[in-house]
Amino acid sequence: MISRVADHCFWFGRYVERTESTARALAAAGSLALDAELPSAQVWRPVLVVSGEEPAFRERICGGDDAHEAWGDGEVVQRFLVWDEATGTSVLRSASGARSNARSIREVLSLEAWEAVNELYLYLRDDATLARYTQHRETFYQSIRRSTQLALGLARSTMLHDEPLDFLWLGVLLERVSQTARILDVHHHAVANHPDRHEVTETAVWLSVLRALSGGEAYMKRAAGRVSAESVARFLIAEPAFPRSIAYCVRSAYDRLCGIRPPDAHDLPGGRALERLRVLDKWVTARRAEPIAPRAVHDLLTHVVDEVHEICVTLGSELLGAEAPR
Amino acid sequence: MALFAGYPEAALPGTYDEMFAGETARSSFARIARLLEAITPDELARTQHLAEAALMQQGVTFSVYGDARGTEKIFPFCLLPRLVAADDFRRLERGLQQRLRALGMFLDDLYGEQKILAANVIPAEMVLGAAGYRPMLRGIVPPGGVRIHISGVDLIRDANGTWRVLEDNLRTPSGVSYVVENRLISKRMFPRLFDAARVHRVDHYPTRLAETLRSVSPVGDDARAVALTPGPYNSAYFEHSFLARTMGLELVQAPDLFVDGDHVYCRTTRGPTRVDVIYRRTDEAFLDPEVFRPDSVLGIPGLMRAYAKGNVALANAPGNGVADDKAVYPFVPDMIEFYLGEEPLLEQVPTYVCLFEEDRSYVLEHLHELVVKAVDEAGGYGMLMGPQSTEAERDEFRRRIIAEPRRYIAQHRVELSSCPTWIAERGTVEPRRVDLRPYILTSREGPWVLPGGLTRVALARGSYVVNSSQGGGSKDTWVMKE
Repeated sequence: MISRVADHCFWFGRYVERTESTARALAAAGSLALDAELPSAQVWRPVLVVSGEEPAFRERICGGDDAHEAWGDGEVVQRFLVWDEATGTSVLRSASGARSNARSIREVLSLEAWEAVNELYLYLRDDATLARYTQHRETFYQSIRRSTQLALGLARSTMLHDEPLDFLWLGVLLERVSQTARILDVHHHAVANHPDRHEVTETAVWLSVLRALSGGEAYMKRAAGRVSAESVARFLIAEPAFPRSIAYCVRSAYDRLCGIRPPDAHDLPGGRALERLRVLDKWVTARRAEPIAPRAVHDLLTHVVDEVHEICVTLGSELLGAEAPR
Repeated sequence: MALFAGYPEAALPGTYDEMFAGETARSSFARIARLLEAITPDELARTQHLAEAALMQQGVTFSVYGDARGTEKIFPFCLLPRLVAADDFRRLERGLQQRLRALGMFLDDLYGEQKILAANVIPAEMVLGAAGYRPMLRGIVPPGGVRIHISGVDLIRDANGTWRVLEDNLRTPSGVSYVVENRLISKRMFPRLFDAARVHRVDHYPTRLAETLRSVSPVGDDARAVALTPGPYNSAYFEHSFLARTMGLELVQAPDLFVDGDHVYCRTTRGPTRVDVIYRRTDEAFLDPEVFRPDSVLGIPGLMRAYAKGNVALANAPGNGVADDKAVYPFVPDMIEFYLGEEPLLEQVPTYVCLFEEDRSYVLEHLHELVVKAVDEAGGYGMLMGPQSTEAERDEFRRRIIAEPRRYIAQHRVELSSCPTWIAERGTVEPRRVDLRPYILTSREGPWVLPGGLTRVALARGSYVVNSSQGGGSKDTWVMKE
């Protein structure tokens, strides 16, 4: 497979996943703002942190002021993270990114997968959508989630299951690992540092995190109705059967990369990325065997995010043509 | 109100209408005209709207150059099909095959022994001075012996309905993806009508193209063929990707390819892989900076060395531009007689070659009624539109023609036939001018004509300009079965 094309497949996957995760995080925060008795800045600021856009928001929206009222203004935060074209991870930018990568590899994607992502882009560009966003916020986020799921589902059900799809899913999975890690980390931090910790509020926060990751029901099946910081962290980090847990995504990413570059194919490029991913998988799996102390969660998640970053850089240079072989 | 109410009255004077002869539909199309008549303008408006939405949704678009947001537009499309009668197309088919055979032999000869120049059938200075002639390619025989794998020949019908060749496109003709996509849309929008109409299919074009490419492979059937595009910002990118997708080829850009030991390789996730056939949609000036344009960043250094060694087939072959040059066009009928010993089956537009003294004096006396073109300039530059020109412009051209007669040819303005076309703003069907570009694939076995083609239509009232960049649109072309 052509390295440049593999790169587009990988980034197509990442952007689609990013579109969805931003939409999920915003929908969950909107719901949390209604449920929990939290100051609204504590609802919205974490979403900015998770998306990596906190510094940009501080500078462009708040004029550098950490006490600016915009931090707690859900409408401002949502506009910034949905529609702002200057925001790197906004829904609009991510969907455009997905589409422009898809457009460069239209002959690789199936027609139906392409149409799904093209429709999502056109939907966001349509003036009628802005009206729907204003009137039915929840329906809007739901449409985004359904479109991204449709695009990924169609990719899986209408494309050949070979290298291009492997790269696409590798992108989805690695993006999802970091997303889960960051969302968990940010909320862990917020809850742990809250001055007057209240059980009801805490439960609302954790349910919101689970909702943002579509994990509410799955979690309950494992935890039998008990919600605690530790068990939520354990579920999202180590549960092997939940498709958005770190353990699941890292293992699946490793399996995908094995399909692209088998572990015994020593003459093929990609060996360093594969090894690094294997080590990370082993490390995450080992976390399952021992209790996860609340104080260790942040370091653990930081390790995961850093490793995923390194793996992506290595993939870029070994397989995706970031350093052309000649 | 009936769909064609008022249509015959709106006929353009001096123009052949494809569908109607006076008040009534032409006999070959009477049945389809009745079927179309059953559609109300409201229905057509609705269906047309649906069709445009479908094209946008599928991303059947072209990029608009110079637009920072990378805007894409759909190629305006009129749902009312352009009909071509079975016997008309049969004659066109034979004429196009003959023309393509002769043009192929001309290129072989020109990049070989140059017998046609020695026999003085075409003045050597017209050919060797043409911008499309590439002397460095002389002596190279392309793999499979084919040079014009893909061509699109622009045809018009004059006031009497006679088909005439306006232009040959033998380099990287585009538009065929719209032929296939337009057909999908008309089948979807008019299923019953289409079924009743008995129309030749066009959806096998990509398969035939893939066969054509395989037929010229230097390594036999296991050839790895790729499609080469300048990239997503090229205005025809949709088509490049469409063809790659429907042929199952990888779509590559120049940086994906490199040459080592006179073989072409592709950079892949498994290391370098050999490439044997390149269906190239980049202009030849940007193919290989070692040979054509040293300043090009788009090329593949060494590609022409690999080509000269016969290690890679290029479709189309570089160097074809000389055969679709304005300076060479007037001599195509002579080529057909010289190489095939046959009478040309297709008419073309009578052209005065200013190099010839007799033609030149006619042109100089009739500047006010002729269109004069400089042979080495395209896109309307270096052109005199006689009927609209001023005295000063005519004097300027008179001076230029006398100074460098070789550079100029002249034609009478051509009439284009008209076709019933949906005019959305007014909700009516009106005559609009059209041309036709059929596509011809030439494999080792010879030329094959796709029974269909791109009908371009000048959507503005009274206009002759069918280009998509200037208010042109397209129609599905229905070639009737016998």
